[in-house]
Amino acid sequence: MSILILPLIFIAIFVYSYKKKVSTYDTFVSGAKGAIPLILSIFPYIATIMIAVSLLRLSGITLFLSKQIAPVFSFLGIPSQLCELILLRPFTGSGSFALLKDIINQYGPDSYITRCACTIIGCSETIFYVATVYLSQTRVKKLLYAIPVALIASFVGAIVACLLCRIM
Amino acid sequence: MNKIWFLMMLASLSVLLVQNPGQVLPQMIFASQEAGKLCLELCGVYAVWLGILELVEKSGLSEKLANLLNPLIKKLFKVDNKEIQKMIALNLSANMLGLGNASTPMGIKAMKSLDNGSGIATRAMIMLIVISATSIQLLPSTVIGIRASAGSESASDIILPTLLSTIVTTGLGIMLVLFCDKFIRRKKN
Repeated sequence: MSILILPLIFIAIFVYSYKKKVSTYDTFVSGAKGAIPLILSIFPYIATIMIAVSLLRLSGITLFLSKQIAPVFSFLGIPSQLCELILLRPFTGSGSFALLKDIINQYGPDSYITRCACTIIGCSETIFYVATVYLSQTRVKKLLYAIPVALIASFVGAIVACLLCRIM
Repeated sequence: MNKIWFLMMLASLSVLLVQNPGQVLPQMIFASQEAGKLCLELCGVYAVWLGILELVEKSGLSEKLANLLNPLIKKLFKVDNKEIQKMIALNLSANMLGLGNASTPMGIKAMKSLDNGSGIATRAMIMLIVISATSIQLLPSTVIGIRASAGSESASDIILPTLLSTIVTTGLGIMLVLFCDKFIRRKKN
């Protein structure tokens, strides 16, 4: 069912545009043109954060930290196998999907751990990435409380996710 | 961001200095090459979504969507500008469908027009970051895809837990933003 949603939305958009006498080809081209300058302006931000994350992982700090916080997490009902995932999730999307694949390979796609991991990834975002990329074309330097609030909300979400996966 | 990045770099570089100094530069270059690859991939993704977005805008669909979501947007973001409302409406809808990549260009556009040049994030900007970061997920499409391809028997059974936990995260996020905003205002007065 869900596979059909996107194509249906696209058909609706095309038909509606045609009805409104919008020249679909020209319009799509002029929109797509915006992709290159957009990528050029966000590349340095993506590279900078990816460098820091990859050094953190190489140095073993993330693994060390996740071992340190494992007792706290398991007290809150989060399996210790998911600590590194929760630590890295705010920084890297591709990195957390790589971890998810490891977890699936190790515990199987229908295990409790995998379902928790999937739900945690589904209900969180790469917060640092979103914040830097969204603001890449503004002059904002001070984010005030944005990142702490997003992190706290996502962490509570992870606790809720593990709880829900247990009972559902 | 400056402090966080500095701390991340300082910590990992000092550990690597002892453990594995030869790997530092190759790893940094490897990471930024990966970033380049990612950007190339994203360039294709954004071209598709910006093309669709332009159609949605030119046809007037975005106004309809914005009108639909406007009561909510006005309450949460307190913006009156029609253009910004449209971008926020599109950003939120893409996020809810699990299309994080599609929502990014609209988020960037919305932020650009919300910028007042003061260098400090406004409440509306913070709200947009927090809601995007905790967005309600009607359909976590990517994760379901990964699970299905790994041979799961019921790949979609995470939809309900994900939906419920994102309702919690979005709600909590919005409440925290409102609370912090009030707190800062009171401190100023």
